[in-house]
Amino acid sequence: MLSIRNLTAEVNGKEVLRGINLEVKAGEVHAIMGPNGSGKSTLGKVIAGHPAYMVTGGEIRYEGKDLFELEADARARAGIFLGFQHPIEVPGVSNAQFLRLAYNKQAEANGREELDPLEFDDYIREKIAVVGMRPEFLDRSLNEGFSGGEKKRNEILQMAVLMPKLAILDELDSGLDVDALRIVGEAVNGMKSKDRAILLVTHYQRLLDHIPAERIHVLSGGRIVKTGGPELALEIEKNGYDWINAEVGA
Amino acid sequence: MTPDTGTASDCSLVPDLLPAQAEGWDSLRAAAREALARQELPTKRDEDWKYCDLAELRRAAFRPAAPASVDIRDRILPEARGTRLVFVNGRFDPHHSCTSALPQGLRLLPLHAASEAATRLGSLLKPAESDFFANLNTAAFADGAYVFVPKSVKAEAPLHLLFITVGEDGGGGEGIPSTQPRILVEVERNASAELIEEYAGSSPAFTNVAVEILVHEGAELRHERIQREAPEAIHISNLRAEVAKDGRYHSRTVSFGAKLSRQTPQVRLTGPGAEASLDGLALLNGDQVSDTHSVLDHTQPHGSSRQLHKCIVDDQAHAIFNGRIFVRHGAQQTDAQQQCRTLLLSDSARVDAKPQLEIDADDVKCAHGAAVGALDPEELFYLQSRGLNAAAARNLLTYGFASDLLAHIPVASLRRSLRQQVMARTNAADLVETP
Repeated sequence: MLSIRNLTAEVNGKEVLRGINLEVKAGEVHAIMGPNGSGKSTLGKVIAGHPAYMVTGGEIRYEGKDLFELEADARARAGIFLGFQHPIEVPGVSNAQFLRLAYNKQAEANGREELDPLEFDDYIREKIAVVGMRPEFLDRSLNEGFSGGEKKRNEILQMAVLMPKLAILDELDSGLDVDALRIVGEAVNGMKSKDRAILLVTHYQRLLDHIPAERIHVLSGGRIVKTGGPELALEIEKNGYDWINAEVGA
Repeated sequence: MTPDTGTASDCSLVPDLLPAQAEGWDSLRAAAREALARQELPTKRDEDWKYCDLAELRRAAFRPAAPASVDIRDRILPEARGTRLVFVNGRFDPHHSCTSALPQGLRLLPLHAASEAATRLGSLLKPAESDFFANLNTAAFADGAYVFVPKSVKAEAPLHLLFITVGEDGGGGEGIPSTQPRILVEVERNASAELIEEYAGSSPAFTNVAVEILVHEGAELRHERIQREAPEAIHISNLRAEVAKDGRYHSRTVSFGAKLSRQTPQVRLTGPGAEASLDGLALLNGDQVSDTHSVLDHTQPHGSSRQLHKCIVDDQAHAIFNGRIFVRHGAQQTDAQQQCRTLLLSDSARVDAKPQLEIDADDVKCAHGAAVGALDPEELFYLQSRGLNAAAARNLLTYGFASDLLAHIPVASLRRSLRQQVMARTNAADLVETP
């Protein structure tokens, strides 16, 4: 589904990704781990098409197609979803309005039927139950005044509404308490499918207790320096990142 | 352009607009005329008017607008069905007005029929202290509205004052039709009301408004001010309000229309514990100029004020915000917060924002700020990452920026109609359903 080769990218003239290679197949859950500043979030933003990140080399293929030919919005309509580490507040636009708009933009692009407000209301009620959100959050402005945890739930609600093929979830666990993490984790697990790939970007192993990943990639200095199974995350939990850096001479 | 050097004597405004016969306000009018004789039409050399081009007022001939017939069905607010005064081209229109649903003792009258207003009129806009336009209004107003909410009466239905300027019957003749609406509002002790003051129009006009508001002890007035005049109109508005002990005055001014609009609201908190808010939204494009010069004056302790002024400026339009907050000696424990936020949508759009705090008390909590900018790239990316193309993301953020200020308008039909107008202006009509 996602194939990244020798990807290099910079932001504000600073090279942040220095040759990333990564293969993610449909149905898989991968985790990108790494210390702060290693380039984890950048990788997510580059895949999603953030215009401030300039790709300087390499390629990303998504479902066999060159991803760089698509703007961020076209990538989203093609099924790529980025769950933000810090979701943006948009005053004056209600959550429900925004969710329906996003849903319909994707439906329109993919030849599915658009939903009117009443139909969407039925659709969204099911979804909010899954992420444990109260219905009044639908009438509030998008993310405005939401707590950190509420924003993260809202990201997963958006994912549940849009049902992307590739979901990149950036630091999903930050801002979530244990109970909320369990609920959100179950919601994400419930969306696992053979047609969908999930890329978790996280600093801590604890997220992987709730959403198990089969492949763990450790990012350091803009490169994937180590890849392994779930045991690698446990080792990082126990010993931190320094031993890996020492091992690879980074 | 003619040189900007007018005086009252060479200005065509005054003599043409004076009412033909005297009525109840003779001495007040005489005082205003006397003051006007010493005043000049402001020029760009006046610091307070440096961004307003009034050349047209000097050049063009103005005359009172002639009568017209109008269909107001689209402008009726169902919530104010029986609490509405309508003025067409400056004249009270009894046919379209309806005051069948007023609470006991509440007075909602055309000014010409409100003899009891005589003692109050001009008490806040005193001719000796007022500017050219306020005095012009005092000298020349033909009619207006008188609102009196008696002690402890809580008016449930909003009171709607609708001023419409439309093409005159029979074409009207030479010169630009002008109106001078005058409004006097008095809310007695522990009373409360919601007032909607709306200007709408479809033809070029010069509208010069003067409003005086007295909010007595423990009373509350919520005031929505809507300016959606024709694109060629000139709209000038002076407002003075006084808020007594524990009184509350909350106003929101929404300015969409007119090529030049000028708002000068001045609110004085005259008793301890009084509170006021003075919010504004100006949505400008083309060559529109919208100028707000506001004053919030804290004279007594424990008062609070809030001001959020938002401008969305596109094309070559120009927004001006000059917001002064005074905290006088002895106005301890005042809490005053002021914010001006401007969204510039084009490279040639312009804003001059000047928030000012002048504090003579030492135990106060005051903050002010001005933010000017284009749309935030991170916000745009967030929306694009959900599948909205760049134009849709921009339009939705712009809509949200404006719509946010309308969210707390308690009259649903008005809120809806303003949001629809914002949707149309921000090209967001296909992005959000009618709220």
